[in-house]
Amino acid sequence: MVKLLCSGRIVLGVEAETLRCMATSRLERRVVVDLQQIHAIDAAGLGLLVELHCRARQRAGMLTVANPSPCVRRLMALTHLESVLQVAAFAATDVAESADDEDERRVMTA
Amino acid sequence: MSGSGQSLEHETLASEFVFTGDLAAMIAVRDRIMDFLHEHCADEQKETDIMIALQEGLANAVLHGSRNDPSKIIRCAVDITPEAITIVIRDPGQGFDTAVATDSVDDGTNLTQHGRGIHLMRSLMDEVSYRHGGSELHLKKLRTG
Repeated sequence: MVKLLCSGRIVLGVEAETLRCMATSRLERRVVVDLQQIHAIDAAGLGLLVELHCRARQRAGMLTVANPSPCVRRLMALTHLESVLQVAAFAATDVAESADDEDERRVMTA
Repeated sequence: MSGSGQSLEHETLASEFVFTGDLAAMIAVRDRIMDFLHEHCADEQKETDIMIALQEGLANAVLHGSRNDPSKIIRCAVDITPEAITIVIRDPGQGFDTAVATDSVDDGTNLTQHGRGIHLMRSLMDEVSYRHGGSELHLKKLRTG
């Protein structure tokens, strides 16, 4: 499993591409995208989360959106993605304690 | 890219931003527009809503109206009054059939990467309309209420 700690914004352009490259370059079946530090996301960013979700399922894996910020949660609700994506709240230590092979990467998106 | 700002009256501000129709130029001008709005929009939630809607409108103008072509020109006019913030984005494209331009998010079954932009704009702004066959987008956010 890998956890990607995102900060800044996930919008069309280099920000979304950075997250896409980071997520799709990983071989782990389970990818956790922590969005606690994301202050803005647009339709391209939401579309990317759906893309990564579908990609994970095709590989018999799972994408988890962890700790979505209020902004992210609001836009996910507006686009009805809360029922599509797996959303979870993680304490900072939860993931590390639950998986010996957990890897953590920081994704700085502006 | 160029931009000009002026105080029309004591309570009205207007500025026009002109940029080439490619993604890199759009990102730069988006941040300049938001800086302009940030100076005059005290409400953080409304500012966030405007930023997301502006991002969608500019992205559509670049990707659909200009085909990400830097030889094309996009104009974005911003008007700020005590009552509302109005943004008009004009692209050089042929427009589209606004009557059939609907996003497929209402039933929660949209599993594609696209089709959320117009829905987001309509959800976040008080008024969203298209003119000139879809090549001109009007966004309005009320400052009161």
